[in-house]
Amino acid sequence: MKNSNWRLTASALALAGVAWLASSMPVVEGEKVDFSFREAPINAAGIKGMADLRGKPILIDFWGKN
Amino acid sequence: MPASIKVQEQFGDDVQVIFVECQGTEKNTYEAFSWKMKWRGNNAIWTNERVIPTVGRGLPEVALIGVDGTVLLQGYPGDFGKELEETLALEVKKAKDAPAGTPATLKKAWGAFAKGDLAAALAECDKVAGDDGAKARAEFVARTEARIARAERLLDGGDLSEADELISSLAKSCKGSAELAPKVAVLATKLASPELAAEREAAKAWSSFVGKVAKDKPFDGGNVKKAEALAEKHKGTKNGARAAHFAELSKINLNR
Repeated sequence: MKNSNWRLTASALALAGVAWLASSMPVVEGEKVDFSFREAPINAAGIKGMADLRGKPILIDFWGKN
Repeated sequence: MPASIKVQEQFGDDVQVIFVECQGTEKNTYEAFSWKMKWRGNNAIWTNERVIPTVGRGLPEVALIGVDGTVLLQGYPGDFGKELEETLALEVKKAKDAPAGTPATLKKAWGAFAKGDLAAALAECDKVAGDDGAKARAEFVARTEARIARAERLLDGGDLSEADELISSLAKSCKGSAELAPKVAVLATKLASPELAAEREAAKAWSSFVGKVAKDKPFDGGNVKKAEALAEKHKGTKNGARAAHFAELSKINLNR
């Protein structure tokens, strides 16, 4: 029982790792961006992801509060 | 940062600016900070989820995604000089034009779509035989359906001022389209329903409040009191909750 729990946990961690790696893969210039927010952004006004912005230019500003 | 705020305010609905906080700051804290810095009161959205991975070694960093959904530029903003501004202006123009390589027979369809006349655009597509007409038709329908889906989410989220604007624009655009006009009519009926009367009133009050305070000492004591009064008056609505949240944000110590 304990073994199967460990196996399940290990599989879940491996899957999470693959998902994290995929999400942190660099997007090269010219590559299409496909992204859905896990949590609604502040002031989202109904925007859930890139699909909602189809046909519109998007400027992403990476910033830090500190 | 202020440069991107300026872009959002200059281009309005033609561009979407997404601010991505990358230093692990707690959501309420960076939200409060955005108010305090007078960066709100526009369409920009704020998240801590990296829409795409960063490529540089530090902040700030910007990325421009074109109308075709691909990354056109990414890096330290100062490295681009005028290129960022010029490419953005070009993309805004492109969003209203037919995509490169569009056959001459479909230019009229794209022109009608850009003017917001979906029914005319679809009718033009139907005159063009083969894949090209069908492809353009599918693109117009997909773009419009994405806007309809967004209007639905605006209604559900209590963003009724924005919903009203979008539904009015969709109603004009879809007039005469047998496939899309009925969907827009359902939204218009929902927006005008008695069940949403309290939310409509609250949304109007919240929009007006944001318009007044966003650029003028948002967390000034008087403004916070107004937010609290708004929250009390519109208790039980989503916009009343927004006002209450705003008052809570004003209490966050941003100097920590």
